[in-house]
Amino acid sequence: MLNATAQGLAIELVGVGKRFGSRTVLGGVDLRIARGARLGVIGPATGGKSVLLKIIAGLYRPEAGLVRVAGRIGMLFQNCALFDFLSVADNVAFPLVQEGGVPAAEIEPRVAARLRAVGLAGSERKLPSELSGGMKKRVGLARATVATPDVVLYDEPTAGLDPVTTAKIYGLLRADHDARGSTAVVVSSDVDAVAAFADTIAFVDGGGVRWIGPAAGLRDADDARVRDFARGTP
Amino acid sequence: MTTATRTRRTITSIGSRTLETVAAVAELGSVAAQTLAGAVFGYWRGKRPAGGIARQMYFVGNRSLLFVLVTLGFVGMVMVYQTCLLTTKVVDGRNQVGAQWIRLLVLDVGPSLTAMMLATRVGAGIAAEIGSMKVTEQLDALRMSGVTPVRYLIVPRFLACVFMTVVLSMFGIAASWAAGGLTGYYSFQINPRIFFDVSMVEPAHVVVGLIKAATFGAAIPIVSGFCGLRARGSSEGVGAATTSAVIGSSFAVIVLDLVISFVAMTAFGAG
Repeated sequence: MLNATAQGLAIELVGVGKRFGSRTVLGGVDLRIARGARLGVIGPATGGKSVLLKIIAGLYRPEAGLVRVAGRIGMLFQNCALFDFLSVADNVAFPLVQEGGVPAAEIEPRVAARLRAVGLAGSERKLPSELSGGMKKRVGLARATVATPDVVLYDEPTAGLDPVTTAKIYGLLRADHDARGSTAVVVSSDVDAVAAFADTIAFVDGGGVRWIGPAAGLRDADDARVRDFARGTP
Repeated sequence: MTTATRTRRTITSIGSRTLETVAAVAELGSVAAQTLAGAVFGYWRGKRPAGGIARQMYFVGNRSLLFVLVTLGFVGMVMVYQTCLLTTKVVDGRNQVGAQWIRLLVLDVGPSLTAMMLATRVGAGIAAEIGSMKVTEQLDALRMSGVTPVRYLIVPRFLACVFMTVVLSMFGIAASWAAGGLTGYYSFQINPRIFFDVSMVEPAHVVVGLIKAATFGAAIPIVSGFCGLRARGSSEGVGAATTSAVIGSSFAVIVLDLVISFVAMTAFGAG
């Protein structure tokens, strides 16, 4: 992965391919995401959405193609991936502590500020096992953004959450990106919620980006499969 | 299905499994090299979990002490009892049992049995913990913060396990010898002054025993950590990784025991 993109681009994928054994998950994906953009990635299960996200994050190495990302990356994982053995505060502080560069005296106030921003002030000493699903997502969100990344990747940020908590999570995402102007890529099965958050939607299916366009035009896409998926038509 | 098709499928299957095995061996080698490098150079530099090694020492050492003492104590009783039974049937060599038993304990039985016990208890724990972190994406979260899972998770367990296997082996040897002495005294009237005789133990035996204990202690976290890192899917994958860790660690202990014994016998005549 190269840490430089053409001017104005936060993420650039050129001909990216990924296989697991004999199964081709992604085949020749091209994608360009502008700085500060909010891209929603939707598509059927096993279509390669999460794999695409992990390739952008550098967690999977593609067999083919080129990936360029400008700046630091933060990621909210589908299962939150909070460290069971660390408290909420230590989980949020983890990227700052490990990546270095932040004076020790600054870490605690920054963690406290992030936890306040996601509405979890007072939960610093709790363990992940003591949190509800929505709280875990919010801790994951605080951890993903505490190091002020330029690009934030969200893998199913509201999976398994009720509609009220889903609205709260997307409200936090919106407030965070409005305040920082960072680039967001959201993989989600919740089409309505992600379409309301993102300005661009990419429909990933069959190992590639089948359709990409403005979120507002998703339900009237010129591709019948995309249109049916967005409308929930079987 | 024709014979040609069946043959082709069999060859393909054998080839595929061979490639998988080669890849797994290479990955195990990579984990071992990263762990050794991390323990020697990397762990002491930069950020590391506070109290990481002490916590692992407690888990490996203190939490396994009773298990090791009881197991090796019983093994000592059984071995001395059976040996005394055999020696009294042929010629009465009961007076030699204690001296030979401590020699065998120091040289081989103490470290290898302690390590086998740790392979089941500690190996399973390491694989289950790392495996569940793998399937819940916690290892990916570590990587996103620029942390190498081997350095963060396996190296502290490796350091703790090497040290505590040596310590536990000593405790295990003492327990086994003492339990054997009691069995010899109460069942075969062997005088404790005769049983607790260390004249057969040479410094080379102690050195070989220590090398074995440290090597077994190194193998357990490497093999178990490797199995945990390869966990796939969900809880079923973690279960499979745990089983593989116990089998793999125990097998590694047995193979290493043979290798070290052979080298020691060849080099020092103390195998």
